[in-house]
Amino acid sequence: MSIGLSLPRADGAEKLSGRATYTADIARPGMLHAKLLRSSHAHAKLLRVDASRARTAPGVHAVLTREDVPSGLMPIYGYFIKDQPIVATDRVRYIGDIIAAVAAETEAQAVAALALIEVEYEALPVVASIEAALAEGAPELFPTAPMGIVPAYGEGARGALRPAANICFEFGYRMGEPSVFDTCDHVFEDEFRFSRMWHYHLEPFVSVADVRDGRIEVWSSNQNPFPLRKELSRIFRMPENAITVRVPYVGGGFGAKNNCKTEPAAVLLSMLAQRPVRLALTLEEGFLTNTQHAAILRLRTGVMSDGRLVARQSHIELDSGAYSDASPLVAEKAGYRIPGPYQWEHVDSLCRCVMTNTAPAGPFRGFGGTQAAWASESQIDMIARRLGLSPLAMRQKNLLKLHQAFMPGESGVDSDLEDGLQTVLAALHHTPAPDRGLGFAVGFKDGGGVNKPAQARVKVSTNGDVFLGCGTVEIGQGARTAMPQIVAEILGTSAARVRVAPIDTDHTPFDQGTNASSGVAVMGQAVARAATAVRDQVLAFAAARMGAPPDTLRLEDWHIIRGNERLPLGPMIMRHYGGTGFEFTADGFFKSEADHHAPLEARCVYWEIGWAAAEVEVDRGTGQFTVTQLVVAGDAGRAINPMLCRGQDEGSAIMGYAQAMFETMRYDAAGELLNGDALHYRVPLADDLPARFTALTLEQGHGPGPFGSKGLGEGAMLPVTAAIANALHDAVGIRITELPLTPERVLHALDQLSTAKALP
Amino acid sequence: MPPETIRFTLDGRDVAITAEPTEPLAHALRESFAAQGVRVACSRAVCGACTVLVDGTPAASCAMFLWQVEGACVETVAGLRDHPLQQAFARHGAFQCGYCTGGFLMLAKALLAENPSPSRAEIAEYLSSNICRCTGYSVIIEAVEQAAAGMRATA
Repeated sequence: MSIGLSLPRADGAEKLSGRATYTADIARPGMLHAKLLRSSHAHAKLLRVDASRARTAPGVHAVLTREDVPSGLMPIYGYFIKDQPIVATDRVRYIGDIIAAVAAETEAQAVAALALIEVEYEALPVVASIEAALAEGAPELFPTAPMGIVPAYGEGARGALRPAANICFEFGYRMGEPSVFDTCDHVFEDEFRFSRMWHYHLEPFVSVADVRDGRIEVWSSNQNPFPLRKELSRIFRMPENAITVRVPYVGGGFGAKNNCKTEPAAVLLSMLAQRPVRLALTLEEGFLTNTQHAAILRLRTGVMSDGRLVARQSHIELDSGAYSDASPLVAEKAGYRIPGPYQWEHVDSLCRCVMTNTAPAGPFRGFGGTQAAWASESQIDMIARRLGLSPLAMRQKNLLKLHQAFMPGESGVDSDLEDGLQTVLAALHHTPAPDRGLGFAVGFKDGGGVNKPAQARVKVSTNGDVFLGCGTVEIGQGARTAMPQIVAEILGTSAARVRVAPIDTDHTPFDQGTNASSGVAVMGQAVARAATAVRDQVLAFAAARMGAPPDTLRLEDWHIIRGNERLPLGPMIMRHYGGTGFEFTADGFFKSEADHHAPLEARCVYWEIGWAAAEVEVDRGTGQFTVTQLVVAGDAGRAINPMLCRGQDEGSAIMGYAQAMFETMRYDAAGELLNGDALHYRVPLADDLPARFTALTLEQGHGPGPFGSKGLGEGAMLPVTAAIANALHDAVGIRITELPLTPERVLHALDQLSTAKALP
Repeated sequence: MPPETIRFTLDGRDVAITAEPTEPLAHALRESFAAQGVRVACSRAVCGACTVLVDGTPAASCAMFLWQVEGACVETVAGLRDHPLQQAFARHGAFQCGYCTGGFLMLAKALLAENPSPSRAEIAEYLSSNICRCTGYSVIIEAVEQAAAGMRATA
């Protein structure tokens, strides 16, 4: 009835009229406006911060420097490692690090007051890259260890804090015996470099905080209201029931809006000013707040001459920037996913988070999987060509089969990987021609987060109007459209009758966050369970009234169907509960079982797969090349709403395409971001699309989510960079191992190739 | 700068505002006229989320002064009522987070006024003055194509 229909988005009326409310639109009576003073040094001791002139500036109600943080707070945050201060204390660690904040009547007054704050720095040597941070004698960002914890791991996996200078965390995974390397016909070592993008969410980071009467109220453009509440509770030492987090529509996030960003400073300013405070960053400040992880990935892969993969040892270094943020989690994912969707006898992965004097890196669509897929899918292709095998045959020989465990103790792969690959290849109409090439890749990640709990609540009024309480933030993915479709299908009603309640941590059932492509596959299961429990209650109620066994009854449009009978529920409910009626209510819960045999302590909920095939044409004279065709596919398991699935796959694929072609943050050796503004940082536009661009939604039917569904939204990004690099190799014989694949790099590689050929 | 009274037409209504003439148009529209659908993202005329039409021409209202619209006809997404573009955007899922949507609708409206039968390439080129980070653009291009066809059929 609802499942599988491309119903128009439930948020269409609001978003297409401009009336949708985002945090950027929230205003409170007496609200002040805050701005931040940021470090102009990449690495320096803070000798003096004198805000005395700012305090008396026109319109100023509160100034926040290291001296203004009330004692008794824990003004430092981070996911696993608490290392990021709300305002800098003894030193600054990147250009853009927050030194002070001002709340004033207007933003202009706040900006003017910031200019009156005097800061004296003592410059420290700067490490702005992975190599610089790991060099012998490099200055340490954290001379003493910040407080941190290592997550629990299962068989084969391990984590460690601060294993060496300027490394805040490392993740390791090992399976099988390293001695199998000795049995390999060939061992190939290759190094890959992954670029760093910014999320470029159009709604900037913004929060409104209102602290009064011992309570904190926060509106925020944030992907995970409950972890935010917990972190604010810890920082401000207030009970969680004294904090309410509300999340209206979110204008894009792509990972950036996880954990704390603008919220702690807004709360602290509101405490100091005794007024509501709005802290809205500019888009440029977004570049200074959270980014993707640049990476260096070294792979050592042992194979047999027939192309059978045997062993892979990997060493990944992630540029984590100045603060740990989600780096330990990203390291875990990059390290775990680096083997790719293949069968191995031995895997030995190490992924380290390297601290540099650049903006903190954190969650970004793909979450370690993008880095892993870039290196792994490039190297598989390189090895195939070195062995004289076709890249397709090489993959066919080694791909994990449907239901085969990824690693010992792990869940089985729930997509037919070869079928997906054949599907994208069949959809790409490639005719060989000079300087034209075909490449493809398989992106692969454990989807749905690790050990992630989700709760949902469904209630139905006397007249059959349905309420869904669910903490999945509507960030563009279409949660407020798809979740009602799940509920409607189970309750035998129409999705239009299901209203999703606004998110408010006082009333919304608990959810760990809107991330990890977990909406349908994790929260969807909680939603389905809640809806099923309500349906069962209603049927049991009707059965008791009618003196009939529940299993002879069915629910349809808020009528009880028994054979040819069709009884309206409203009157039946009022006869029993009285004229004001009743609400049937139930909660649903889902979490993957904890399991110590699983490397990450819980089996992966589902496997998120993206397949890509690309065709390129290269101009040998200039190094310019065009992607003439790009076909991607994701496996929805079962598409709850095919239109939404397509939207997720296309948006995701274009981010990967941009990363392949041009999009990248550029830092210099002094830690200065050279293109950190809207104009100079290039993101894809409508006329950047490949001439032919197709996203296919497969429905292979093996997903664990409601009706066989799986998650989407990240998978299609994963394979795109490697598919295009592989196509370049196919076209003109060059191999580029560093992103983006700029014309300069193509030309340079072509020159090297001709030089090598010219040598005797 | 002393406040001045600026008069213009906003979504078909005559309006006046007494304000600093150098106030950014987007700010005035949002704060003084509750034009919430005018979204501000980059604040430097790059992303186009704040696109409005000024005498029919698309303009980044974040980078325009209030004085520049004296006597002009300003149109925002709030003025669209069941427009074929809105219908087509809904049918094609041509928006996700929705933050860029008002700007894209106004941009597309200007395109179709200039060129009622744009080719796919012409649509892509015209729409390339705005940024959508969510959709990957294909669905927006398709929605504009379909709206154009619908508008031609009923013209």
